[in-house]
Amino acid sequence: MTTDLVRATPRRLAWQRRRRSAVRFWKQYRTHRAGLVGLAALVLFALVALTAPLTVGSDVTGVTDAPGNPLEAPSTEFPLGTDRFGRDLLGLVVWGSRVSLLVGLLAAVLSVAIGAVVGITAGHFKGAYATVLMRITDWFLVMPTLVLAIALATVMSRSLGTVILAIGVTSWPTTARLVRAQTLAVESRPYIERAKALGGGHWHVMTRHVLPNVMPLVLAQTTLMISSSVLAEATLAFLGLGDPTVISWGGLLQDAREAGAVSAGDWWYLVPPGIAIAVVALTFTLCGRAVESVLNPRLGVAR
Amino acid sequence: MSTQDQHGRRRSHPRSPHSRAPRLVAAAGAAALTLSAGLATPLNPAPERAQAADGDKVLTVAVAQSVDSLSPFLAVRLLSTSILRLTYEYLTDYDPGDAHPVPGLATSWKPSADKLTWTYTIRSDAKWSDGQKVTAEDAAWTFNKMMTDEAAATANGSFVTNFRKVTAPSPTQLVIELKKPQATMTALDVPIVPEHIWKDVKDFSKFNNDKSFPVVGDGPFVLTDYKADSYVRLKANKSFWRGAPKFDELVFKYYKDQDAAVAALRKGEVSFVAGQPALTPAQAASLKGQQDIHVNEGPGRRFYALATNPGAQAKNGQKFGDGDPSLLDERVRHALFMAVDRKTIIDKVFQGHAVEGQGYIPPRFSTYFWQPSGSQTLSYDPAKAAQLLDQAGYKKNADGKRVGKDGKPLNYRVLCHATDPNDKAVGQYLKEWWGKLGIGMTLDCLDNVTDPWLAGKYDLAFDGWSVNPDPDYVLSIHTCAALPATPKDTGATDNFICDKTYDNLYAKQLAEYDSAKRADIVKQMESRLYDLGYMNVMAYPNAVEAYRTDQIKSIETMPKAAGNIYGQDGYWSWWSAVPADSSSSSGGSSTGVIIGVVAGVVVLAAAGVFLAMRRRTTADDRE
Repeated sequence: MTTDLVRATPRRLAWQRRRRSAVRFWKQYRTHRAGLVGLAALVLFALVALTAPLTVGSDVTGVTDAPGNPLEAPSTEFPLGTDRFGRDLLGLVVWGSRVSLLVGLLAAVLSVAIGAVVGITAGHFKGAYATVLMRITDWFLVMPTLVLAIALATVMSRSLGTVILAIGVTSWPTTARLVRAQTLAVESRPYIERAKALGGGHWHVMTRHVLPNVMPLVLAQTTLMISSSVLAEATLAFLGLGDPTVISWGGLLQDAREAGAVSAGDWWYLVPPGIAIAVVALTFTLCGRAVESVLNPRLGVAR
Repeated sequence: MSTQDQHGRRRSHPRSPHSRAPRLVAAAGAAALTLSAGLATPLNPAPERAQAADGDKVLTVAVAQSVDSLSPFLAVRLLSTSILRLTYEYLTDYDPGDAHPVPGLATSWKPSADKLTWTYTIRSDAKWSDGQKVTAEDAAWTFNKMMTDEAAATANGSFVTNFRKVTAPSPTQLVIELKKPQATMTALDVPIVPEHIWKDVKDFSKFNNDKSFPVVGDGPFVLTDYKADSYVRLKANKSFWRGAPKFDELVFKYYKDQDAAVAALRKGEVSFVAGQPALTPAQAASLKGQQDIHVNEGPGRRFYALATNPGAQAKNGQKFGDGDPSLLDERVRHALFMAVDRKTIIDKVFQGHAVEGQGYIPPRFSTYFWQPSGSQTLSYDPAKAAQLLDQAGYKKNADGKRVGKDGKPLNYRVLCHATDPNDKAVGQYLKEWWGKLGIGMTLDCLDNVTDPWLAGKYDLAFDGWSVNPDPDYVLSIHTCAALPATPKDTGATDNFICDKTYDNLYAKQLAEYDSAKRADIVKQMESRLYDLGYMNVMAYPNAVEAYRTDQIKSIETMPKAAGNIYGQDGYWSWWSAVPADSSSSSGGSSTGVIIGVVAGVVVLAAAGVFLAMRRRTTADDRE
């Protein structure tokens, strides 16, 4: 009798519901083969990045005690050759994954957070507030993102935070539009009206009813956004706007260009970071697509 | 004064302030363009060569610097002053062999007994390109203009500040009266302009001499066309008094990206890649084995240094800027000096394409080259550096960081040029060397270092100047007289050094007409500068440049034995260049380009696929 009562508390019920939906999500996700491949690659990259301090160590970035000669071709000692300081490129690519992934992740989260807040409030409040906000969104949408990010990264000091901020505040408009559309759809449902009639305020409606309903969209969008953030970070670093003392994939490409590796034909300096960027971007896209097709109410079939 | 600003290494022209952001955006755009030019040459099929008349021998030079101004009164950059050398003859030139003064516009010169009056004989066989004769009046007018109009003194004003009066008693005689003796009278690097053209110019601070072509001149080449950040075109002056150049046309083509310039050289689109900045070790190594390409390496005219902020101040005694107070202690500066392993920088960063730094003036100018004596040398010695810092009272705290007098850990901001790969590379070494000493370091890489530099808002900065055969100018930029008048003004000073002993020596050398004695005083100045520890000369980078031997048969270097070609103290290289018989070039592309293209295509394809997928997703989501 008492156990039944415990089992019936709202919190318990909510947890059970969540667990069930997580299992349902996984079952559907499993059916997407590309998504699984992406996920496997993603786990691999995450492992490589997280274990980098154990496998290669931060010493790999040191220039004063670099083990090799500058620009050595791949050999058994240095499987991917050396960079212009004589550092092991394999180690640098592994170490660089930490910055590239971290920046990609944080920038995407920042971007989606801004987009979600703008989208939900614009969809909820409507009227003049929404009009002004959406015009600002439109303005950011038509601005070339890269140019805006370059301008931002230039006026601020060169650091990781700057790059994250520059990417984050320039790439949110698409998310804002998506979330606003979904918010409008949710808010037109009768139960929102009921909640309001029962005395639910703006805050209550937005956090309790709208947010959970747009969350799948936000999650999928975040996953997709990460790949573009990784690319954006590489682009900014390649254009020399990153912190030159921090190793990232884009930074390695920039180093290679400055050292004249392109015209000298030192391919081992260019290809590994380039491929790493492409593969990570692809991985996140595959995962994001799969997540999206499972979670997005518009794309899903078995809801 | 063609000392200046190598590829934007030093401050840009003070009269043309640009705000930082638009410049950077433009730079990024240009980078994208050069990238496309380097990768997909069909987009940019060398229009310059196509335009030249058939049979004309064209010498195309790839340069990495843009023109600041074509007015001899304003131009300070190496490219601009080199072009002006080609278009306007100076009073004297430097011998390509050992750089002693040789006749230019003046055939002979002599000082009076009291050392205060110099009489120059002007040649009578020189003509302006519009047919008028070059006379002493032109020279007198040029100097008088610089003495009376402040705007005309912008670039070369330092040569005339000591002039009392300049007259031309006859068309072949120029007389200059001085206030005090001046040792640089046979090294007046001032382009002489035609009075009949220039007298109509209203505002010298705005006139850039780039509106009507051809520009009337009397040098070996005549300026015929110019497009900002694109090209400068010159035509041979067939009636040049020293003899006509062998090439019919000379084109300086702007490549922002050195790799793109190297690719163009391989393709035969350009005949010459300028070594300012020098080709990277990787580029030089890959070009060395190529057929029809010659890599030329000569001792550089530049020094590459780390300048310390000595507490920026103006002539009126007002202090400004925010340099770290600990740097005012000579022991700290010497400690930083000793923690820099210059040999490693030569071996690893320059990979042997530079000479280890010692005194202020590069060894190329052997008369003035100075080396510290044994006990004076601040050689690489981290242990002694740590000891000096301890003595100065900057002890390590529990975290192993040295603490300043204000109780905070020492952390120096080092100003670096974002456009210079060497700055960034050396900066990483400095960070680790100083880190071991317990001193923090932030590498502050900017596209435009001018603003913080002039405001004194830095602790240390990467610095470098080209040195002329006559060292007066590079010595003058460390005198108190070069300080800005007020914190708001711009002075000629390099990094705000003001030292009485140095100033006295400077005045002494300027008044010394005996070259051996003068060289001795100059060496004392270098010694003083070294002891002060404000300028750590780390290297003298070599000039590494390359040209196509199937387009250029021969070209003169300066000094003649193992010298450089681009950026000489004179027009010898381009004037002497002999075209090769066949101008056909092998268009064989290189593995490097192929790899570059493949890598580019891979990245683009990935981005394209990705974008296409994104596009499809959002299409589904649209309301």
